[in-house]
Amino acid sequence: MRAELRGSTPGHVSVPDPNPFDTPHGSLSGALKGCLGSLDGAGIEKLLLHCATAVEANDATLVQQVMWVLNNIASSHGDPNQRLTSWFLRALVTRASQFCPTAIPSATTGLTRARPMTATELVGYVDLTPWHRFGFTAANGAILKMVQGRRKVHVLDFSIYYCMQWPTLIDALSGRPEGPPLLRITMPSARPSVPPHLNVSTEEIGLKLANFAKSRDVPLEFHVVKATWSCSSDALNGHSNFLQEFASCLLDPSSLGLREGEALVVNCQSWLRYLPEGSGRATDDLSSRDAFMELIHRLNPCLVTVTDEDADLDSARLTSRIMSCFNYLWIPFDALETFLPKDSPQRLAYEADIGQKIENIIGFEGEERMERLESGARFSQRMTRAGFESFPFDEETVSEVKLLVDEHASAWGLKREEDTLVLTWKGHNSVFTTAWVPSGYDG
Amino acid sequence: MMELENSSVMTVSNSGSGEGSVSSSSQLQLPAPPPQPPPPNPVVKKKRNLPGTPDPEAEVIALSPKTLLATNRFVCEICNKGFQRDQNLQLHRRGHNLPWKLRQRTGKEPRKRVYVCPEPSCVHHDPSRALGDLTGIKKHFCRKHGEKKWKCDKCSKKYAVQSDWKAHSKVCGTREYRCDCGTLFSRRDSFITHRAFCDALAEESGKKGPGAQTSDPKPSAEEEKATATEEETAAEEVTAATEAAAETAPAAVVAAPLPPQQVAPLELQEPAEPTELPQYMPPPSASLANTSGVSCSSSSSSSNTSLFASLFASTTSTAVAHSTATFSDLMSVMGHADRPLTEPPSLCLATNGGPASLFSPQAQSHDRRPFAPPPPSPHMSATALLQKAAQMGAAATGSSFLKGFGLDASSGHQENIQDDGLQWGHQRKLEPEPAPMLSAGLGLGLPYEPDLMMGSSSLFGSKPATLDFLGLGMGPVDGTANGGLSALMTSVSGGGGGGLNMGPGTAAAGWEGTERKPSSPAIR
Repeated sequence: MRAELRGSTPGHVSVPDPNPFDTPHGSLSGALKGCLGSLDGAGIEKLLLHCATAVEANDATLVQQVMWVLNNIASSHGDPNQRLTSWFLRALVTRASQFCPTAIPSATTGLTRARPMTATELVGYVDLTPWHRFGFTAANGAILKMVQGRRKVHVLDFSIYYCMQWPTLIDALSGRPEGPPLLRITMPSARPSVPPHLNVSTEEIGLKLANFAKSRDVPLEFHVVKATWSCSSDALNGHSNFLQEFASCLLDPSSLGLREGEALVVNCQSWLRYLPEGSGRATDDLSSRDAFMELIHRLNPCLVTVTDEDADLDSARLTSRIMSCFNYLWIPFDALETFLPKDSPQRLAYEADIGQKIENIIGFEGEERMERLESGARFSQRMTRAGFESFPFDEETVSEVKLLVDEHASAWGLKREEDTLVLTWKGHNSVFTTAWVPSGYDG
Repeated sequence: MMELENSSVMTVSNSGSGEGSVSSSSQLQLPAPPPQPPPPNPVVKKKRNLPGTPDPEAEVIALSPKTLLATNRFVCEICNKGFQRDQNLQLHRRGHNLPWKLRQRTGKEPRKRVYVCPEPSCVHHDPSRALGDLTGIKKHFCRKHGEKKWKCDKCSKKYAVQSDWKAHSKVCGTREYRCDCGTLFSRRDSFITHRAFCDALAEESGKKGPGAQTSDPKPSAEEEKATATEEETAAEEVTAATEAAAETAPAAVVAAPLPPQQVAPLELQEPAEPTELPQYMPPPSASLANTSGVSCSSSSSSSNTSLFASLFASTTSTAVAHSTATFSDLMSVMGHADRPLTEPPSLCLATNGGPASLFSPQAQSHDRRPFAPPPPSPHMSATALLQKAAQMGAAATGSSFLKGFGLDASSGHQENIQDDGLQWGHQRKLEPEPAPMLSAGLGLGLPYEPDLMMGSSSLFGSKPATLDFLGLGMGPVDGTANGGLSALMTSVSGGGGGGLNMGPGTAAAGWEGTERKPSSPAIR
């Protein structure tokens, strides 16, 4: 029996039975929970899909039913399956709530209220697993190789990780036989409103970085490109704000402060996924993925590093997205389970951040769905279309990455797919990292 | 082969007879069987099989590891409640008002049950080697395959896989990089990154000379030297650097440089943080957690569970209080979560040397098991349980469910919804839709509107009086699975049999070396 919502039927008011659902011994919930707790991932996935289908079909009753079942599985302190389910359920609730007719606040705001981290906390955060440092290490290795012998290096940093990548590069540059170059790091002021969140400004981070570089005898100039267009306070269009701000940072390439004779490196770390596919008119839409790459190409960098998560989470179909999210994001949950206790605050915080990603991918559509991850294979095709050639990582870099991976749990692995390095967890792709040079680069 | 119980009725009859194999522990190998009261109803005398000659007619039960590890040895199969003594379980069973009598009258002899071990590599995993009693299999599992968490002695890191733990223990404490702030690192890149952003670095620019470094008790000579060198250099350089930075203020640095003195307060904050309660979410208000009649764990550390549970199945007489368990309340409480990153950074370095040692067989089994043992599962299919739900009060379920959403036709507790729903920040003005999805049901900042109620009446299904929440058909005794949800559960649980899949996913692709990406991997 499916009660389809067919519109109002006046006169037909079903007053709820005054006896609420009573579980006198807590029995049903316990039994149900027990029973459902033994569902494997495939079963949970089916439930999620059913829920999504019901949401799309406007089948309120079925949605409630499935959510009720899911809720009995979900637990943010349970096993990884349960934890993952709890975040998916939240996302589905968010989605369902989109259809409420009157003023419904977005659920995302609720989730972003975790206390922002300090810089050192962020360091710990990115080092929980090799997930992030994998890309840092590979990209830095490629950069080091490419800028050998160059006296001036300028890095355009497009990353959500607030310069966590750079101390090790600075450290490595300081040890160069030919001495360190003059290093400039430039980043846009615009950043997508996604975790991790820092409690200090980008400028302060830059200052610390500059201090550190000084301590290493590496001259560093840090520059934040301000947007020429400032966003309104309307947080509703948060991501549109970001895109417009970002585009305005790029509108005038001279605001990037490029100089003659410097080796220009563009570093994209978990960034491109936030740029939309674009309307097709690249010139009008600077913030689109292809337009961005085109712009970068025009700047004639000596190297472009692209690191991101290796999954396709941008399907137009909700059910596909649920499947791919579920079959991908179990990885970090599983990884954390292996070495952090159930109640670990770090683990919970990290999982909540992933939960926010899940919520965005499943709960929203259109502009608000800012997470549009595409896999390494597709990104690579895009780079090729944009006129780049892949640049292989040298053996030294690969060994360094391997060393990093080996220092973590044995389930982490390293895989090479042509010129791409992939971090794997139990054999499943998690993060890819690549390096590119413009075709026919004239260094 | 292995199967789970398909029908609650059968389960009940077995247990109701009082001498189902569940309670047969007294007959079998217990050294000191607890005294058993005479069963409350006529007992079919069980013939005891000789060891090694399994009853071919026996029903093979595969319980989950979690069930087997539960400390209450006598478990009610209907509701999973555990008891220390069998007699208590028997008394409890009588409380389940279920039609086991019917079953008895048909005269069908209860099937014997045997239990297999969920551990795939175990000899008792095979049904032909199943053990005959519940207690026996529980004991066996606990001793042989109990979940081990490998804990490092030196630090607090735990590992699910023995080889990881071994590898970690080898390096734990051997290689150390120490920051001035006192944090230890076993990996250089983490140390470097931390150091760059640690306030201790900036602090040094404020004070003095090369002598002001902490000496590390037991690093290797190389590290100590490196640390000392760094600090000396840093001490000298940073002092000059800060001044230089302040003066030249390179045009590139947009922000005004912070004087080192200002950095100190930041640093002071950090030591204070570890004293924060390491709770991801604040404990729910008493009205949310304690009054919930649901039997999920409602300790404060699992506040999320209880919140959601109370949302979805808030119950009972304290309906008034429960209207506070609105969706918006839920979300707002969730939203107030702190970020309690109170564990020192050194703990987050999952160091693990020894790449050579891949999984030992035991570790393998750890990895390929489902994540962690799921909660106890009775011998009932989801379908059956949901039927039970329908029997127990399907009519009422929907209302409290919706009550949890804040939609309460009988009581007018909408003010909470209004207040709390707005906490989420920005509002969105949406056009009212003629056929709202969950409509006012979500209680998200909606005023109570009778029209909306009318319009969403089909929310309650088309059945007038009985809220067939689970869609399982009308009436309490009708156990046929004709509802959308039952069908759903059947399909979810693997189609054919009404049972649920247990244990490791069937797509048991061991991860080592496997490059293919399963389309729907069972999460191990």
